[in-house]
Amino acid sequence: MKNIVIGRYIPGNSFLYRMDPRTKIIALIVLMVAVFMIPREAFEMMFVGLGLILILLLIGKISIKRVYLGLRPLMFLLLFTFVFQILFNKTGPELQAWTLNYSFLNIAVIVAIVVFWMYTKRFIKAKFIYLILMIIAIITVLNQLTLGPIFATRQLVVHEDALMIGFFIMMRLIIIVTLSTVLTLSTKPTDLNLGLEAVMKPLKYLRINTEEMAMIISISLRYIPTLLDEANKIMLAQASRGVDFSEGKLKDKVMQIISLLVPMFIISFKRSDELANAMEARCFVPGATRTRLHQLFWSRLDTISLVTSIIILIGSIAVRVVT
Amino acid sequence: MDIIQMKNVSFEYQQDQPVLENINLNIKKGEWLTILGHNGSGKSTLSKLLIGLLKPNQGEIIVDNILLSRETIQDVRKHIGIVFQNPDNQFVGVTVRDDIAFGLENLQVPRNEMVERIEKYAHKVNMAEFLNKEPHNLSGGQKQRVAIAGILAMQTDIIIFDEATSMLDPKGRKMILEYMKQLNAEGVTIITITHDMKESVLSDRIVVLKNGKILKIDTATNVLKDQETLEKSNLEMLLPLKVLRYLERENIADEKVRSYLWQLSLKR
Repeated sequence: MKNIVIGRYIPGNSFLYRMDPRTKIIALIVLMVAVFMIPREAFEMMFVGLGLILILLLIGKISIKRVYLGLRPLMFLLLFTFVFQILFNKTGPELQAWTLNYSFLNIAVIVAIVVFWMYTKRFIKAKFIYLILMIIAIITVLNQLTLGPIFATRQLVVHEDALMIGFFIMMRLIIIVTLSTVLTLSTKPTDLNLGLEAVMKPLKYLRINTEEMAMIISISLRYIPTLLDEANKIMLAQASRGVDFSEGKLKDKVMQIISLLVPMFIISFKRSDELANAMEARCFVPGATRTRLHQLFWSRLDTISLVTSIIILIGSIAVRVVT
Repeated sequence: MDIIQMKNVSFEYQQDQPVLENINLNIKKGEWLTILGHNGSGKSTLSKLLIGLLKPNQGEIIVDNILLSRETIQDVRKHIGIVFQNPDNQFVGVTVRDDIAFGLENLQVPRNEMVERIEKYAHKVNMAEFLNKEPHNLSGGQKQRVAIAGILAMQTDIIIFDEATSMLDPKGRKMILEYMKQLNAEGVTIITITHDMKESVLSDRIVVLKNGKILKIDTATNVLKDQETLEKSNLEMLLPLKVLRYLERENIADEKVRSYLWQLSLKR
């Protein structure tokens, strides 16, 4: 538990690591806007975007495996948007049509397939591919098998636009998530915090105290490992008193969580009280001016990176204007 | 010269339940003073009053010729540093370096000087090689040393140790006591708050506190001799003195044994 890394920072050495966190955050925003600027009609441009990202990963020495790990939780969302588009987008020329035959026996076979999938998926490593295989199997069954009396038939029509837009949205999500993963992989949480504070400075004019927010984030970062440790200790203490955290019905689970949460709350309040005392005793005054040990330095690398990302933004705006 | 003066100080959290009553205490510059008391004697409250975390209901506190009040609280805090009991709950920075810097940032010390001071005082508490370490990779004793460095870097002339060693292992405790001795020798006024007799022996004077009242203020030797007071305040006697007491009761303590056991208990 002690070694949980927040923000998934992976130490490394490349130009991405040497960049000022402010640059990285601003460039991320600029590039995200650029991705959203690309119109649907020019969806081939997404390949250019993907190519640029691959180049970034390559010269930034970010392992593609790490980026994939960042994308993995998103797989189901991607699949869902794609399936959604295919089912409901009915514009553009037809590409392919399947006849789906519904009969009681067909439905029985499908139920069997789903049950089989539910029971076997825990043994399969590539869960995502297994899910896609199941969906394909269901469609094939409906299309090919005509067992028993058929009470309804439907057409599954795939339109060109559905495929295109589904693909387009998928690419958009992939690019955005990859870009943010690159940011969190290459920036220490503390640097990220400093960068965010600097970038959000204009919010001061809206009377939002960014320095205090940065202090809050930095203290949370510092106390996450301590609190995880504490939670671990409480869980062990409760386990030694007979609480079983791994099994039980929903009602038992709720009780188990309460037996963890209540002491955690009390301890955290006590901790924050003592921490507040310690901070005040060391002359901390909320909102007062402070000098900073960590200062950010702008280098030529930052100028180059920022100019590059702005050029990409202008490029995508140009594509939008032309199409 | 008295660096701290407390005049008729009283404090209560709830009405008619005084935690401290009529405390009169003068602490000399460069002195090492122990505030000794059992749990609930009000000794931690006393330290919080000194650093302005609590406001006395009555009386006045003068630190370095500054009368402690709402307006002067920040000035007073520049003169007093405090090391608290729990090493985890006073570590503000994400790394050792950040934590030592925290007080300096608050004092608006320029960055160049900050870097210098961090190096200097981290060396002083032998934590220089740990500057980039995170708190959860440090032991309790190491965290307390960082806390000391953080206060030294602020260059205060008084340091309060509020049961700073009570959560440490014997090795960590010994080390912190060593730093206390060293700092006191360098002229820092030290106030230790403890219920441990062994620690109090090191100091110049001991204040014995019970139920919010001062029972006795005297040198360490005299307080140790005053068994009546110690018993009254529920404090555990030092082992050699306990032995001496049994021997005296059985009438088998000769002068040699007596002086040896005293020597043993007053060993610094």
